[in-house]
Amino acid sequence: MRPKNIVLGVIGFDCHSVGNKILETFFTEAGFKVHNLGVMVSQEEFINAAIETNSKAIMVSSLYGHGEIDCAGLRERCIEKGLDDILLYVGGNLVVGKTPFAQVEEKFLKMGYDRVFGPDCSLEHVAELLHQDLLSREEKED
Amino acid sequence: MSEAAVICVDIGSTWTKGAIFRHDEDRFSLVKRASVTTTTDHLPDAFYGVLNQLEPKRDWSEEGRVPLYFSSSAKGGLRVAVVGLVPEMSLHIARLAAFSAGARVVASFPYRLTRSSVAEIERSQPDILLLCGGTDGGNERYVTENAQVIAASDFGGTIVYAGNNLATDAVADALANRKLVVCENLMPEYGKLNTEPVRNAIRTVFLDSIVTGKGLSEIVARFGVSPVPTPLAVFNLVQAMGEHLEDWQNFAVIDLGGATTDFYSFSEAWFPESDAIIKGIIEPKVKRTVEGDLGMRISAESAFISGGDYLRTALGDEGVLSLQDYVHRLLQNPAHLPTDPKEIEFDRHLAGACIHHALLRHAGTVEEVFTTKGPVLVQAGKDLRRIDKIIGTGGYLAACARNQQSVLIGDQMPEAAEKVPLVPQSFSYFADRDYLLPFIGCLAKDFPKQAALTAVDYLVQSGDQVQIPSPTLCKGGHFL
Repeated sequence: MRPKNIVLGVIGFDCHSVGNKILETFFTEAGFKVHNLGVMVSQEEFINAAIETNSKAIMVSSLYGHGEIDCAGLRERCIEKGLDDILLYVGGNLVVGKTPFAQVEEKFLKMGYDRVFGPDCSLEHVAELLHQDLLSREEKED
Repeated sequence: MSEAAVICVDIGSTWTKGAIFRHDEDRFSLVKRASVTTTTDHLPDAFYGVLNQLEPKRDWSEEGRVPLYFSSSAKGGLRVAVVGLVPEMSLHIARLAAFSAGARVVASFPYRLTRSSVAEIERSQPDILLLCGGTDGGNERYVTENAQVIAASDFGGTIVYAGNNLATDAVADALANRKLVVCENLMPEYGKLNTEPVRNAIRTVFLDSIVTGKGLSEIVARFGVSPVPTPLAVFNLVQAMGEHLEDWQNFAVIDLGGATTDFYSFSEAWFPESDAIIKGIIEPKVKRTVEGDLGMRISAESAFISGGDYLRTALGDEGVLSLQDYVHRLLQNPAHLPTDPKEIEFDRHLAGACIHHALLRHAGTVEEVFTTKGPVLVQAGKDLRRIDKIIGTGGYLAACARNQQSVLIGDQMPEAAEKVPLVPQSFSYFADRDYLLPFIGCLAKDFPKQAALTAVDYLVQSGDQVQIPSPTLCKGGHFL
């Protein structure tokens, strides 16, 4: 089976590049075709890449605490651009300070993200969820 | 004609021009030149007219090999419509590829073709439709659907498909009854350029079908050589100069014509040591752009509109009004040549506006953004700051050099801006005074080094080094 296309990048004016490289390597090894946009990626760039590569998931990282502002509106913009069913994953240090993760998660789920991960999540778990979610989307399409 | 000579002919939309060059060991030298009015209903007439002027005693119908090269931009040149997916990605790359194959892009559309965009394609009658979109293994839907729409249209030219490889069969099925050429994807990986296969495909289509359509096959049959589109001849020369001449590693060519302004650059698009992060694609080292709204005669009115702010700053409100009158007169008579100092000044500023905008559209930008790690520079498009030589060619700029009139390049650049244009900072200006570059360009494919040396021999450096003050970034930062 062909590896599934996914788009990866660090959103906003965030230039933390080390984690991004690790994610690229990890998801590639986990069987995905990763289109890595690197750091400082705008919402528009995520969407453009998803369209050209026919990716069914966008993986958004944010590590510098401004994730809430940067990530807001991505779901709406995807719908505007015709990416109605795309999976949106977000992870990293999403907010500044010590907000409990459950609250952070709730906030991002409300924004339209399908899965939200904190800084200490297990990547194996993320990859497993991604495989499952993509599969169930495909089944829904069929 | 002596043994060691070559003939070059350029069939333009108005003039068919020719030249004999003596072929010395390492370069060419001009012996004689001629020009006649292009015979649009039968291009070979003017072609032989030029040959007869160059060598009146010769019978061209006789068999025998003649070392001859020719280019053509007659009958609208090589007209290409581009259908891509995302405007900044596959569509942008497709436009660059078409330009670098010497084409004029007559229409371009992203995403899904609508009824009105199909009508626009049918109306503009391109020779080639370049269809692309999707990385290899990426999006198949848009190219497949667009292929079906094209199949149902009245477009009768050749379709070059350079999109997602997985969609090739679906595209070929949809276009089974059309002339279709399939080549490698021009963006196989997201953001990666692969333009050479498309350029080759366009060249092949040009030779196979367009040459016949424009009535050039008679010349091909007699002389055994194929024409190149004139802009491709210049493109090949730019590449040859950069690849063979040590002093020409960062340079640009401005071809200012009556209908378009073409801008060529030879320079790396991005310098890692500039500390800027690049956004979008890294543009090619040899790049050509064509501005269809910027020109001295046929496009004078659109140049007047596009160059509004530039012209107002240069001439003031009253000056702009008188220029407007002049532009209206040009539309009545596109062959008009300035008759008094005032009109010469008008042409100078109109040219200034064309060059200003062609340069800004060819150049990339840099902006400074603040991050938690401090300020970061973000570059988009091509960095032209290291360009240290600019060549001016085309009828008007050649005449300026002969009449010792100065040319406005790089004036009115913004002093400070959010997004700073990456334009040359200090350059010498060279004029193609005798307007020989298209001829020499014809020789660039077979004799790259000799053609490059010849071009430099005939360029005339004029004026002092031009400095464009480095603009300050609004937020006060500096960049290399």
